[in-house]
Amino acid sequence: MPEAGSGTSRNRGVGRRPEEEVIERRRPGRAQASDLLARFGRSAERAGPAPDTGLAATSRDAEAAAAAAPPGVGEVAVGIAARAARFLAGSTPDAETDLFDAGLSSVDAVELLAVMARELDVRVSLDDFFADARPRRLAQRWAEAAGLPTAVVPDSSAETPSADASSPTAASANPAPVVVPAASAAPPATGQASPAIAPVVVRGSAGTADEDLETILSDLALADRLPFSRQAEPVVPRRILLTGATGYLGSHLLLDLLRQADAHVVCLVRAADDDAAERRLADALRSFEQPWSSEVRRRVTVLAADLRRPHLGLSGERWAALAQEIDSIVNVAAAVDFLRGYPSLRQTNVLGPLALAELAMTGRPKPLHHVSSVAVFNEVGIEKMGEDDPVAHIDRLFAGYDKSKWAAEAVLRRAREHGLSVTILRPGAIAGHTRTGVYNPRDLSTGLIGAFSRYRTVPAFRSMNLAPVDWISKVMAAVVFDPSAWGQNYHLTGRAETLPELVNDMKLAGMNVGVADWRDWRDDLIQRHTAEPVPELDFLIRILRSPTAMKLFEALMLGPEAGMERTERFVHRHRLPMPERYGAQAQLKAFERMAENGVARLPSPEDAPYLSFRERTKGHVGPIGEDRDTRCRMALTLSIASMYQVVRHRRIDVRGEVACERLHREPLRVETGEIWVRPDEGVPLRHGGDHPLLRYRMVLVDRDHGRWWLEGWKTARAGRDFWKQTRTIEVTIGREGEPASLAGVVRVPGKSFVPDQIDGIRVDPRLSSQEQRLAKLTWLSWFFVQVGIGLAEPSLRMAAELLDLRRDAIDRDKDRLQHKIRKLMIKREQTR
Amino acid sequence: MTLRPLHHAYGDRVEDIPLTASDGTELGLCRIAPEDGSADRPAVLVLHGLTASADMFTLPETRNLTDVLLDAGYEPWLLDWRGSCRLPYNEGRVRYTFDDVALYDIPEAVSLVRKRIGNRQLLVVAHCIGAMCLSLSMAAGLVPGLAGVVAQGVFLTPKMSWKTRARLHFGGELLRSRLVNIPTDFKKVGMWSKHSLIFAEVSLGAECKDPNCQILQNDSWGVGGSLFVHDHLDDATHDRLAYLYGTVPMWILPHLRSIELAHTVMRYNDADGRYDALPKNALDNAGKFETPLLLLSGSDNRFWYDSNQLCREVLSRRYPEMDVRYVEVPGYGHLDTFIGRNAALDVFGHIVDFLDECRSAGTPV
Repeated sequence: MPEAGSGTSRNRGVGRRPEEEVIERRRPGRAQASDLLARFGRSAERAGPAPDTGLAATSRDAEAAAAAAPPGVGEVAVGIAARAARFLAGSTPDAETDLFDAGLSSVDAVELLAVMARELDVRVSLDDFFADARPRRLAQRWAEAAGLPTAVVPDSSAETPSADASSPTAASANPAPVVVPAASAAPPATGQASPAIAPVVVRGSAGTADEDLETILSDLALADRLPFSRQAEPVVPRRILLTGATGYLGSHLLLDLLRQADAHVVCLVRAADDDAAERRLADALRSFEQPWSSEVRRRVTVLAADLRRPHLGLSGERWAALAQEIDSIVNVAAAVDFLRGYPSLRQTNVLGPLALAELAMTGRPKPLHHVSSVAVFNEVGIEKMGEDDPVAHIDRLFAGYDKSKWAAEAVLRRAREHGLSVTILRPGAIAGHTRTGVYNPRDLSTGLIGAFSRYRTVPAFRSMNLAPVDWISKVMAAVVFDPSAWGQNYHLTGRAETLPELVNDMKLAGMNVGVADWRDWRDDLIQRHTAEPVPELDFLIRILRSPTAMKLFEALMLGPEAGMERTERFVHRHRLPMPERYGAQAQLKAFERMAENGVARLPSPEDAPYLSFRERTKGHVGPIGEDRDTRCRMALTLSIASMYQVVRHRRIDVRGEVACERLHREPLRVETGEIWVRPDEGVPLRHGGDHPLLRYRMVLVDRDHGRWWLEGWKTARAGRDFWKQTRTIEVTIGREGEPASLAGVVRVPGKSFVPDQIDGIRVDPRLSSQEQRLAKLTWLSWFFVQVGIGLAEPSLRMAAELLDLRRDAIDRDKDRLQHKIRKLMIKREQTR
Repeated sequence: MTLRPLHHAYGDRVEDIPLTASDGTELGLCRIAPEDGSADRPAVLVLHGLTASADMFTLPETRNLTDVLLDAGYEPWLLDWRGSCRLPYNEGRVRYTFDDVALYDIPEAVSLVRKRIGNRQLLVVAHCIGAMCLSLSMAAGLVPGLAGVVAQGVFLTPKMSWKTRARLHFGGELLRSRLVNIPTDFKKVGMWSKHSLIFAEVSLGAECKDPNCQILQNDSWGVGGSLFVHDHLDDATHDRLAYLYGTVPMWILPHLRSIELAHTVMRYNDADGRYDALPKNALDNAGKFETPLLLLSGSDNRFWYDSNQLCREVLSRRYPEMDVRYVEVPGYGHLDTFIGRNAALDVFGHIVDFLDECRSAGTPV
């Protein structure tokens, strides 16, 4: 491939930063983009070899860039790259490599900034870092801020199209008309082949150049280089190229593609070689609980590739082979980061899809299915978000991610005009799997659910376009296999969540939440996080603190429900599941996982109880096998932290005291204690008709620090003394680590049951009176149904045993037959 | 007795092996020979559920369990125990209980296979009632030395929904005295017969118009369960449901009811000395299991629900040293874990992974 400097016509490598940063700084005397472009134009001319044509996007030459920059900036850039290498296992980035693209995480970025400040005395803000994380740009930003000279150097990242004369594009001898003589071996007429897009200066509101917009415009111009092609043949694909299979959505989509037809899937995975790519895919699938069995492997081919590199980083032969073999392309790969700027995301999110479009139009025309996002509508104040509605105005998008998804769609719309069949699939927030509960820790919805459950306040949002990953991937796969569905836009946003529904769900789960204006909610959240940081929510807090990402968040809070009429028609036609609300039941498993991983938080016994009541018992215990000669009293407080706890785990927390002189002359304190309602669904402990109703398990501590365990069982039996059964506990007690030494029976006195356990229920006083009534009612309904079922089971078994004695149809039929025979014989006798 | 021919695509690689249980009941057993003719593979005995048959493991229209086992280096053996729809017993008037299956069919098939395979390993994959009966055989110690057992849907602790309990255990009682059995094939019933009302009942609210599908999927035999996720079946499988699932005998109801109400696999013939080898309660005797156990269930099983999850919890609490694990297949129901179009992708991988593990850990028996 031609290297940097050989074919760029514009220089966009200088002074690129997010718009709001420009506005904020408003520093006079900055180089105007037009000047820079003009200077680069000259520099490009000096560089000699002409730009290539075609679409193989860009390669970089760090050394050239570093050499061209003033020594100070160049050295600092090299220094930054060297320090970044510490965070990147086994690779050293060059000065032109975006560090996030190289694998740096957001957390690493914070640490790297500290290292840069400490070791290089280079201080760059986190926002600057996210906006453009190429070491050379970081060095330039630092130099600008420090007032040092910053060199204007040609951008070696060469974002203009270039084509390798020996590229498979040429080799494939695409019969479709192409705009550029890509097949030419010698670089003919380099001058006229240069795209020569007129330098457009786009100004931000402060009158300064909006470098992102300039970059976007030039990226859009790349789409004009695409060849013209015929429409893809409307046949069900047999061999599909999939990118992004190691991601959250991609991994689910891979399996759905395999499930919905017999197609073979070729996965492009970023790795050093094919073996490493396969290992990476296997690890990713396992991490998302997707199967990677021999049955999956036999239908999947994994190739090492890199979306950010020319021709996807594939060799010429492989590119040509793929162009011939595959009959459909599904692009899921994307760099999803709401903090990074457009320059940092464009390689993957814009130039990647463009390269795939080229592949789709090379050789046999293939449909391209591109996973976009409703982020293309993330303009504050947008009124409609229908599938065919105009997307946001690009100059009103702020987050780099939104811009990159917008630009990708724009280039692919252009590709449509060139004949490519492009399907645009736009999910909203992608929620956890409804069955496995696997969720995407980097999805904004994950952070929001975590924050709601921890801080018990929700921002007043308009509607949240949120759908579970399993539904999204199932519908996407169906679109891929239905030729009549290609070439359209689809919204896969599911049924939008509304604020009242969310609040109600939380209320029913006993996790009541308050509602606040979203700005107040944000301030409160940041404040609480500062006071008591939760590492799992760091990414959400960083978004809320970033001025650019905040715009994205604002659009999310205030945006309308996305329309999905076409998707609904499609789903109906294919008898796929209709979009359902991602409500409490659907998100239960994901929520449990989030709680396990520390993102969300379930109420625990340490919190103020949601609901509590007393239980007093008295009875006698004695040594095992001997008379129960000693009085034993228990004064317990039973509490639950949320309804989730009882409904899901059937568990009640216990505190209180146990008084028994055989244990200690003073009452013993219940250190920890739990009660399980119908443990193991009432499976009998041993063969017989007794079914366990409640199981008590407590750790007791006496005044001399002696530790004891107590186990108690309420048991249901077939009999008429139900009232007694519900109040009787058979207990065994022993010293910690030793077998039981005492056994006996204690009972809840009939008189205390109603005053303590029904009238005496105390609900969290912070709840409103309506919420308190709801809490009490929900608890009592659930508990009495469970106890009723438990009491009924032994009696039902007895009843069934009696029913077994009834004669069945065989016996009855025999009688009937004999009856008939007798009648016939009598008739015969009479006839005689 | 005639055994309906197995529907398969293995040509002459299917070897039928005559098997008559010691109570005189003729059963079906066949071995699928590997294509490469190898004779050193571990054997896997596969057990179907009640009213199904070995056909459910050899569906030619999908990649079936037998294909996957063969490709993974195993030798599949398919048993048609007396509840098979390839055999005539479900439609006859000679009653049997699950005790007979646990006492005669499974142990005798295992010993016959053992005779043929010598000291090669033997593993078992069992579905539904086949797995339940196997648990009783295992608790009785009648099938020692298995290298690994996979039980799908249900094993030692059957559990249904309350709706199904009410309709099957008590509503079914009304039918038990009137009907000997309930056919799955609507053609056998016709528009006007004593079974027509059942077909009318199961059609209520059904999305699929096929009555054979309705009686299995929409409202299984009128008891309110659902045996598979409709969209998981291949069209050809869907059209063959009446062939794959036969008549359900009503006389089996008392044993099924006693087991389910106790949530424990139990012997039914308490006072019959012939069955003394079987324990009263299989769960109480599960401590003697030495076989690694994989309990499998679809997350959307609408017949046995989370019985296998419950089983894992009970077993691991009562017998902490037992090697028992549970795998839930997301989005799957009950039958579709074997006959589903994508069962190979989503389910059989778990089975083969487990068998491979048992195979490498175990020693030849």
